[in-house]
Amino acid sequence: MIAALGTFSILVALGAAVAMVVQGIRHAGDGSKRAMRVPVFTLLTAALAAFALIEIAILNHEFSITYVANNTATTTPFVFLLASGWAALEGSIVLWGVVLAVFSFLVWRTLRDEDSLGVLALAVMGGVSVFWFGLMATAGNPFAVCSAVAGDVCVASTWWPLGDVVAPVQGRGPNPLLQNHILMAIHPPMLYVGYVGLTVPFSFAIGALIRGETGRTWLDRTHRWTLVAWIFLTFGIFLGGWWSYEVLGWGGYWAWDPVENAALLPWLTATAFIHSAVVQRKRGMLQAWNYILVIATFSLTILGTFLTRSGVIASVHAFTQSSIGPALLVFLAVVVVGSLALFAWRAKDISQAPRLDSLSSREGYILMNNLVLTVLAFTVLFGTMYPLIVEAISGAEVAVGRPFFDRAAVPISLLLLLLIAFGSVAPWRVASSQVLWRRLRVPMVLGLWGAAFVVVIGVRSWSVVLAIGLAVFIIAAIGERYVGMVLARPEGAGSAAVKVVRNDSGYWGGQLAHVGIALVAISLATTNGLAVREMVTVPRGETAVVSGFCVRYIEPFSVSEPNRDVAGVRVEVLDEGCTTSKAILEPRLNTYAGTTQPIGTPAVWTGWRDDVYVGIAGGSSTSVDLNVFVFPFQWLLWVGGFVVVAGGLLAVSRKPAEGRGASEESTSQHSGAT
Amino acid sequence: MSERTRNIAVIGASVAALLVIVVGLAFGEATEPTAEDRVAALSEAIKCPFCSGESLAESPSGVAAEYRALIAERVEAGSTDEEIRQEFAENFGDSYILDTSTSSWSLALWIVPPLALVGGGLVIYVMRRSAGRRDDEHAGAPSG
Repeated sequence: MIAALGTFSILVALGAAVAMVVQGIRHAGDGSKRAMRVPVFTLLTAALAAFALIEIAILNHEFSITYVANNTATTTPFVFLLASGWAALEGSIVLWGVVLAVFSFLVWRTLRDEDSLGVLALAVMGGVSVFWFGLMATAGNPFAVCSAVAGDVCVASTWWPLGDVVAPVQGRGPNPLLQNHILMAIHPPMLYVGYVGLTVPFSFAIGALIRGETGRTWLDRTHRWTLVAWIFLTFGIFLGGWWSYEVLGWGGYWAWDPVENAALLPWLTATAFIHSAVVQRKRGMLQAWNYILVIATFSLTILGTFLTRSGVIASVHAFTQSSIGPALLVFLAVVVVGSLALFAWRAKDISQAPRLDSLSSREGYILMNNLVLTVLAFTVLFGTMYPLIVEAISGAEVAVGRPFFDRAAVPISLLLLLLIAFGSVAPWRVASSQVLWRRLRVPMVLGLWGAAFVVVIGVRSWSVVLAIGLAVFIIAAIGERYVGMVLARPEGAGSAAVKVVRNDSGYWGGQLAHVGIALVAISLATTNGLAVREMVTVPRGETAVVSGFCVRYIEPFSVSEPNRDVAGVRVEVLDEGCTTSKAILEPRLNTYAGTTQPIGTPAVWTGWRDDVYVGIAGGSSTSVDLNVFVFPFQWLLWVGGFVVVAGGLLAVSRKPAEGRGASEESTSQHSGAT
Repeated sequence: MSERTRNIAVIGASVAALLVIVVGLAFGEATEPTAEDRVAALSEAIKCPFCSGESLAESPSGVAAEYRALIAERVEAGSTDEEIRQEFAENFGDSYILDTSTSSWSLALWIVPPLALVGGGLVIYVMRRSAGRRDDEHAGAPSG
């Protein structure tokens, strides 16, 4: 019954998506908001219904539905049952469709009664919806029912929901890695909202190109959508890193896995786009470039999905592989070729940009930053695809991993940091060397001494020294600028501190995000360059000292839970002299039902400076082998991530009817004279 | 403080910091990587056999743990990083070595990104020059 209702709601959603395209094209001329109403509401309702039905089927353990049988079990805890609704392939497509439907509805609400651009943008979103709901209705039907069972696993399924079905008694349960930590329930939806949200600027850009409408209207209308999508994408990426750190037990948070790269790629181009959009909105430049960036960003979200879900690249994240790969590839080709052809057709209408007065100006540094971000994205893409390219050309198998990405991305990122500092404080149009020197000389001294300090305490890695020096440079440059502007105001420092930000929250949101990026850079440098890793064998009751910390093995313990058996050890973390206790940690090995491989879960103690990260490496009846890692300023990575997100939120909070940057422009003249 | 003394102070402080950095990096004693650091670095640069694309370091599987233990044994026994990589390459194939700087196929991988950066920079430079000229012709104004 649920399977039939679910399949029906997917078909209804598909029909509504088609109607959005048809109505959008028919009413492109009059721009009737009313004409889009029924398709948009139907899409939203049907998509929500499909999603609710998947969740109901999972909570009721409807093992006659293949997706439910193969991805959940009666013993799965409630939270992970809910998360199973989107954790595997078919469910993730449903979530994608739901988010897209919600975005379509929200966009529809912002339309004016006669709004040709908006109606065309909705038609494009309808086109994208046709693809996703088409996938659900065919190769990726989450409601396909089980027609043959082997043990707990459904091995064959059929699309037609009303035929003869069989159901295993118990389901297979989620992938152990996916039910090990609560973050796994939050991280993918965040990424999805980010990914799907980027459809909005893309749709408006395509709508503007179809209409031959040049200028900044489409940018003005999608500015906040892009920021919101970017905030979710940023948050999702950081949550993913956090999950990796808390769950995978190797102490890392970023492995340059193809799927991590797939999330990073649109983030890089979206970040470039947010900056170049500001340049077009303030100075009228980079019009063509903005189209290219938004098309690239959207294409990269599709490419990312293809890499994750098609199985062409083996990856820890490719939890499922399926037949939807070819469909995604075709869709990607249609998007890339179609949008670029449209762009080429309209290229002559896109107006000539006003002259760049000087490369040394806010827009000049943003342009250079855009170049570096794009090259970084290209490098990551090239490295990720390289094994495929080489195999296609020569048949040789090569592997590209962390050593390449680290060595290639670090210098590019350092250049990016340098440009952030300049771009943050440079005025628009022309930043004379006197102004830059006055604004950057004190931050430069602080940055250099920050770097010198790191050298003095014993760091010999040039990249760590440079990263920390540049991060201090950025924070000091933005801090000095902020303090200068606050003090330049006539009122008291307290109210001026708020007013300065409120006058130009777009600018200060950006600067807050830059500070967050600098904090992240510091943490990346310290956790990679100053980490201490040791494996110690500790007899029960005894202690071992690792890098200024003492660990005592107290006792083993074991717990039997419905979905897993836990074997862990209690370990006390003390100061170096083994006298003052700091925490009791319980690293463990979890063995999930239906698997024999235990999954290690580390335990972490976070101090004001160091994280002590303890995992079980092995042991005997009388002793335990512990991996004890000490990561300095690991917490700064998470704090930095939150600061970046907070910066995005501050920028979004700007009133829609903002001035054209006059506030920042005028105040910058004051403090320029200090 | 006058502008002049301020500038002198800034330059003096910068030069002093630079001296510390250069002397420290050039002559300071680098801490040798510990055995565990080497094992961690090697595990991150060798792909886990029988896992889905993860390195030995990332994979939570038992197989990966065994190979990490093997690397630790080799490091303990005094093998160099290169010898250990070689051993894995011989047993599983070159494609299991993620450190691609050794393979002849990796040349393009290393050349293309810097080329893209230089190429992009050139495009900006050329476009800026031609825009400046066009503007000069129209307005007769000197470019900024």
